[in-house]
Amino acid sequence: MTLGYLVRRFGAVLLVLAIVTFAVFAVTMLLPGNAAIMILGEYGSDDQIAALEKQLNLNRPWWEQYASWVGGALQGDFGMSLRLSLPVTEVVLPALANSAALAAVALLAVTLIAIPLGAYAALHRGKPADLIIGLFAYIGASMPEFVTATLLLVIFAGPGREFLPAGGFVAPGESIIGFLSHVALPATALGLVLMAHISRQVRSEMSDVLASDFVRAARLKGLTERRVVWRHALPNSLAPAIAVISLDIGYLLGGIIVVEEIFAWPGLGRLLIYALENRDLPVIQAVTLLLAMVYALSNLLSDIVIAAFDPRVRYG
Amino acid sequence: MTEFTISRRGVVIGMAAAGLAPGIGLAKAATPKDGGTLKISHSTRIATLNPLTLSGPAEYPCIDMLYSGLTRIGADNLPRPDLAESWEADPDARGFTFKLRPGVTFHDGSPCTAEDVKATYERILDPDQAASARSVLDMIESIEAVDDVTVRFNLGIPYADFPFSTGHANARILSRAALAGPPEALETQANGTGPFKLDSYDSAQVTRLVKSDSYFQTGKPYLDAVEMHLFPDLAAETANFLSGNMDVMLVVQQADYARIADSAGVEAQRVPSGRYVNVVMRYDVKPWDDVRVRKALALSVDRQLLVDIVLEGLGRPAYDNILSPEFQYAIDTPTVSYDPAAAKALLAEAGYPDGIDLTLGASNRPAIRAQVAVAIKQMAEPAGFRIEVETMPHDTYLANVWRKGGFYMAYWGMQPTEDATFNLLLTSNASYEDTGWNSARFDELVEKGRATVDDGERAKIYAEAQQLILDEIPYVIPFFEDVLTASRDGVHEWSVAPVSRFYYIEDVWLDEA
Amino acid sequence: MAELLRSPTGIAGTVLLSIVIAMAALGPFIAPYDPQTFHPIARLQGPSWAHLLGTDQFGRDILSRLLDGAPSTISFGLGATLLGVAAGSFIGVVAGVAGGAVDSVIMRLVDGLLAIPDLLFTLLIVTILGGGTGYAMLAVAVAFTPGMARISRSAVLSVRTRDYVLAAQARGESWGWIVGFEVLPNALSPIIVEATIRVAFAIMIGATLGFLGLGAQPPSTEWGLMVAEARQFMFRNPWMVAVPGIAIALAALGFNLFGDALRDALDPRGRR
Repeated sequence: MTLGYLVRRFGAVLLVLAIVTFAVFAVTMLLPGNAAIMILGEYGSDDQIAALEKQLNLNRPWWEQYASWVGGALQGDFGMSLRLSLPVTEVVLPALANSAALAAVALLAVTLIAIPLGAYAALHRGKPADLIIGLFAYIGASMPEFVTATLLLVIFAGPGREFLPAGGFVAPGESIIGFLSHVALPATALGLVLMAHISRQVRSEMSDVLASDFVRAARLKGLTERRVVWRHALPNSLAPAIAVISLDIGYLLGGIIVVEEIFAWPGLGRLLIYALENRDLPVIQAVTLLLAMVYALSNLLSDIVIAAFDPRVRYG
Repeated sequence: MTEFTISRRGVVIGMAAAGLAPGIGLAKAATPKDGGTLKISHSTRIATLNPLTLSGPAEYPCIDMLYSGLTRIGADNLPRPDLAESWEADPDARGFTFKLRPGVTFHDGSPCTAEDVKATYERILDPDQAASARSVLDMIESIEAVDDVTVRFNLGIPYADFPFSTGHANARILSRAALAGPPEALETQANGTGPFKLDSYDSAQVTRLVKSDSYFQTGKPYLDAVEMHLFPDLAAETANFLSGNMDVMLVVQQADYARIADSAGVEAQRVPSGRYVNVVMRYDVKPWDDVRVRKALALSVDRQLLVDIVLEGLGRPAYDNILSPEFQYAIDTPTVSYDPAAAKALLAEAGYPDGIDLTLGASNRPAIRAQVAVAIKQMAEPAGFRIEVETMPHDTYLANVWRKGGFYMAYWGMQPTEDATFNLLLTSNASYEDTGWNSARFDELVEKGRATVDDGERAKIYAEAQQLILDEIPYVIPFFEDVLTASRDGVHEWSVAPVSRFYYIEDVWLDEA
Repeated sequence: MAELLRSPTGIAGTVLLSIVIAMAALGPFIAPYDPQTFHPIARLQGPSWAHLLGTDQFGRDILSRLLDGAPSTISFGLGATLLGVAAGSFIGVVAGVAGGAVDSVIMRLVDGLLAIPDLLFTLLIVTILGGGTGYAMLAVAVAFTPGMARISRSAVLSVRTRDYVLAAQARGESWGWIVGFEVLPNALSPIIVEATIRVAFAIMIGATLGFLGLGAQPPSTEWGLMVAEARQFMFRNPWMVAVPGIAIALAALGFNLFGDALRDALDPRGRR
């Protein structure tokens, strides 16, 4: 892996982000209605809407709006939220922090559970444990988050068995127990799909490694099975697992939209749905850009990890 | 469950149709305690605090705490003194003089005078600025600040209901300084004369208000602070309220009402209100140009069943009169029974013996619109109406259907007066005219009614106007929906006005302060 | 096909898929009640002999609604995938066959679009188009297109230099002929495998859009919408959520299992 490769990949990421902002902008311009109509709703009269459009600068041509947005964004100024009358950064950054907290808990839990599960399944191939883990993985991969989330709510937060809060958010700084109890259900709903995916990936990588020449060689040398697994097989199947996890960050970003909406988690996903409903263009832009950025960077990360761990992969 | 019919002239009746009316229960007898923080849960964002334009269900309680108007609408649907101590109409109802309370100050300590009132009303009337109260105040010709505590309004027409208009929830008095400042500041800051002042504003989570020591009603408010907690998800909101994390649930959904009312330690209230869903059937779109078709649809709606299955019984059947019984001049509206056979006959008479295919548009927000639409589709089938319900996201509805389509579901809250109701929707130049009715006779009656000061005379005029509505059926209005709210035991005096924009939170107090 | 039925995954997938497809084909005809008829005296009930899976807020029979909604739910997944695969394969084949500048411009754009997470992309498109089943299907198809383009391009590249293609070129066959008769048939199996798995995905996204109020609209019996409508009542009648929710999961599971088994059967080397 060379510096030139990295520079080129970064360049590609920047280009992609530019395409994304333009696409989002064009897309939101095509949307029916605009922020002024959505703010005043059914109860705003035509002259009120016209006055508000003027106040929100919605009556300028689209290319002028886009140019001024790009100009501002390059200087870190993402404009004002049309609906919330706050600078976009003030709306988006706290939401980003909250989403990151949720995603981090979900990813951490998934990693800690899925890797051992996958490894265990690989070591017991074809045994009942493997089949059960495999079945669980398939079910996890087939449940959309909104189904998992709703079922979790019915089971753990229904009347008479309010084990966990049904939604809402407590900052970790405020009360760590409060945070954990609120994050438990959304993180579970997010994590199930990933757990399925990652454990399956670890299992298959590990199976390959266990069948490989150097593990056979290690066994022939008379090393204990435990040593073979922990010292040789597992480390060698981790790189692909890490690559999968970083790729899954992108998947997480999709899931987070629905899960945050259901559990009232004040993160980027909720904000995005709110902004879409209200035609709050600057917020839609900023959130989409941010999500695309995280997604692109996690893809890049996964490529780098694979390249760094696997000498067979060469990039010119 | 008893339902009180609130008449404007009647005794000032409280709201709690859920059993305990304030003044009857023990709660009233106890002496209010000072202190404590009231936590209110709500499910829609407080996107702005701008009193001139806001319209969110959770935004109204905020400005009701932060600001005062000249008058304020009470639970009895009558205007009560607020910043104005008293008011007087000219005999011809073309001029009103308001006396302000002396010595009132804004939260920043600056005095609130007649000049601030004048500046606020001039801002509301400025056609270049958005202001929701303009439509009920546009009869004002000029405003004079006679002295510090006297404001006079000169009206272009006689307008007997003017003190109702000054009680419009979006006609709160702002300081001249705030009006002169940047308009964005109004969205996130507040310098009012209300019982509470703004402590912190976070549209995504909690907005916190604290007691104002300079409030003009001495001894009030009792609470130290009020927190508005946002729970965008209804299930989460309900769970948090029932587990005791929240003191008040601002809006209770019909589906949850029984469960919440049955929970221990909770008092749920249903306030009969004039809020309704209406079926728009535009006169200028076929087949609705024929009154027989409109009448046939009216006969095809089982109103009691709708109340039972859509409102969970939490409302009253309506029979297409836009005025609910709470209105002073509402007439006794005859029952319209569900009669698909008669409807079928009417349709045949109108030239549709084989029935008729229609598409009924409905926004998916709030869900009640689609639910009523789906139910009407089922009910009207035997009469020969083959209705396809087209439910759509709210923005699509606003852009493509609302005030454009010929057949769709609308949803309106209660207005404070007959005149406001008629001028909102039904007159030819109504703010949100969407019937295409254009009845010269109706316009004339409304015009006459608003200028008439004599009660008996007005009653006659408004009765004729309502009869016209019942004959013509510009809308099918199947029911009036109750306003539902709930509080925990230990919260006293929590109430919502039927127009649901006034809360009187300065009267609320807690057992455990 | 025999290969397919050798693994437990393949058997389970085939069985589930058959059930799902049978439901989609026959559901509306075997429903015990009209899915839209109200039974006002039997609202929000759990399972009983009269209503095997209970009733919803209007007293409509949940089993009948489930059966009635099967065709729209499943055909959404199939339709969206088919459209996405067709468009994606076309773009991928063009890029792979043309190579050079055309290839790099197309692939840059594809990379750009791939940088937006699927659900986000779909959400954006659906909000422009305005929701509803048709538009939602189109949106999912559009969201699938770049991914499919990439896969079919690499499939094309891998066969492009094979002997039979070179031979055809040497014979002087036209490009259209070569693509249609030599390249596509040989590049087809990875495309089919990917498509099968994507059907599961499309069903899930379609249901999610219905759930968010951007896909199917009331009174449709689409399963995601059924879950969305049930949320208000989920504590009063959990069956309203559980029945359509689990049905979605089973349908997606069927396609997932079948797709994986198909991959193993078509490509023995890839089997794990």
